[in-house]
Amino acid sequence: MNKAQGSTAYHWFLLFILAALAPNKLWGIDASNTEPWNKRIPHSIDDLLGIQKQLHEQLSEVRETVVSVEAIEGAGSGVIVSPEGLILTAAHVIEERGREMTVVFPDGNKVKAISLGGSELSDAGMLKIMEGGPWPHATMALANKSVVGDWCFALGHPSGFDNERGMVLRLGRLIRKKDETIQTDCRLLGGDSGGPLFSLSGEVIGIHSRISQNSDENFHTPIESFLSNWNYFLEEDILTYGSLQGGGFLGVSCEEASKGLEVLELIPGTPAESSGIRPGDFLLRLNDTPLDTREKLTILISRQPPGSMVIIDYLHQGKEISVRLTLGERPAKE
Amino acid sequence: MNFLKWSCFLVFFSFKGLLATSPDFDVLDTSHRINGSLMNEAIGVKKAEVLDLLWGLYRNDKLISHGIMVNAKGYLLSKASSSMGARYAMSYSGKYLPIRIRKRDEKTDLALWQITDSSKLWPFADWHNDLNKTKIGNWAISGNKDLSGLTFGVISAKSRSIGREGGVMGVILEESNSSTKGIKVLEVLPHAAGDRGGLKVMDRIIRVDGRTVRTTEQIYEIVKKKDPGDLLTLSIQRRKKESLLRITLGHREVAFDMFNRNLLMSGPVSKRKDNFPMILQHDLPLFKEMMGGGIFDLNGYCVGINIARIDRVTSYALPTSVVLPVLNKWIKELP
Repeated sequence: MNKAQGSTAYHWFLLFILAALAPNKLWGIDASNTEPWNKRIPHSIDDLLGIQKQLHEQLSEVRETVVSVEAIEGAGSGVIVSPEGLILTAAHVIEERGREMTVVFPDGNKVKAISLGGSELSDAGMLKIMEGGPWPHATMALANKSVVGDWCFALGHPSGFDNERGMVLRLGRLIRKKDETIQTDCRLLGGDSGGPLFSLSGEVIGIHSRISQNSDENFHTPIESFLSNWNYFLEEDILTYGSLQGGGFLGVSCEEASKGLEVLELIPGTPAESSGIRPGDFLLRLNDTPLDTREKLTILISRQPPGSMVIIDYLHQGKEISVRLTLGERPAKE
Repeated sequence: MNFLKWSCFLVFFSFKGLLATSPDFDVLDTSHRINGSLMNEAIGVKKAEVLDLLWGLYRNDKLISHGIMVNAKGYLLSKASSSMGARYAMSYSGKYLPIRIRKRDEKTDLALWQITDSSKLWPFADWHNDLNKTKIGNWAISGNKDLSGLTFGVISAKSRSIGREGGVMGVILEESNSSTKGIKVLEVLPHAAGDRGGLKVMDRIIRVDGRTVRTTEQIYEIVKKKDPGDLLTLSIQRRKKESLLRITLGHREVAFDMFNRNLLMSGPVSKRKDNFPMILQHDLPLFKEMMGGGIFDLNGYCVGINIARIDRVTSYALPTSVVLPVLNKWIKELP
């Protein structure tokens, strides 16, 4: 009797654990207590209303953090992420470090800001309000929190700031996420650039970057790009395709994976080729700095002059190997 | 120049379609997207209820606008400037019936059509006039182009009135208080209305539509009253010779290249897209041939009539508070 009871309790416990572990988004099993926006697909009008309610709540939380960013040559958007007035935007909105720009708040108030760093690879950019504060600011999502299928909403100022219209909302889902890019079916237009993509929990998961010919497959810079290269963007520079020339070169093409950067190809005649690293290996660290994005590897390598020595830790057939190699020269563009 | 300031960022434009790449399991299937087929299932029976109210209006067998049934006697409401010349209306169930126009309102750009040979009673729209139903972030639904399913989006910006835009020549004139020799043209923007009409830098504008002009302000006054697409007759003096030019006025944003890129990427937009007493803005992916149809809340209540496609992120709908007074007056006047 006791034993039977114990066994039942044990099974219930197992079931509970399994239910808790089941990646329901992946398997299409939507537990009835799953929030409507976390279901694979809304099943009913109630689910749609649940998404709407959540959207209303998060929208009122974050709308004060969204700004229009005006340069001499154009207008984009941005989102404040710190009480001191640090703004995330697109690299092509700021273009270079040290530019004075104007930030327009939803109520039309304007303040001066100065552009910081970023990267043309992912189209990430930063700027900072020059004085005042504390400013209303949005929370950034942790790395790898947003996944394909997530509901999301885009805010921005398409075609520039318009006081009577205000900022413009778009609702959609995350349709692809790979390396330096997120794609969603939120519709974007010129002027949205640099504006925030929010998850339905109200966290910044991306920054609007490019629009696709197909209007429901637009491109955003993932928040991971900012998180991975934070200090470089904040304190150092903006990485441009041009500035890669003259920097060090490794000669490896890779793809972001959960274990590290998966090596796809080695360019013949480069330091990578003779290093022992092979396709299928995973790059883990460069000079003890963890490699969580491809962009980070590019930034770390290109900042060192050709001829400098680096140490790379990588995973080869499950075994961690450390290799010391001398960086080469980036081949000139044809 | 000031207008340059408004060339907007978002300069890259990718031609590479997502699906052109090899099959990729990390991509959300199109059926799961906000306008994917599975969204139609979430709405249940309301799908058929909404589609039952919507009609396509045809001219020469070509879809020119959508319409919405507003009365059991076969009255269809549509966008006047889009639906002009319509001969037939087709329901989502495939009924193809002749229609004729009964009413038209310039101010709202609405038109009322009637199915001419109507022996049956038609299901017609229920309206919602509650402003809470059209808050930013509320779902908005409508039919897709061929009325085979629904499209989804949200109310995306503040409700507001849209002022009259007026036509432009796309030229920069000298600032002159009073001139007996006409007003000098300082700059002609390439490909804009003035350029296409043959206007050149250093030309002097003597008369506009037969009226002698002595100040720049007088020219602006005449042009301002006209719409894009309207004709303007200019008497100009070029190298001491006087001649007549006919200029078809253009849209402000096209002429001044402000958002030319945005327009290029947006595809065809509605011809009339300004001068509305009040609009709701939403992000539904509509073609310009889908204006005149209704937008609905999740319960199937009609909350507005789509009245203008502005660009690829913006459509305007007239709210029920604007539509109903016009419609009710018409219904009273008709048998």
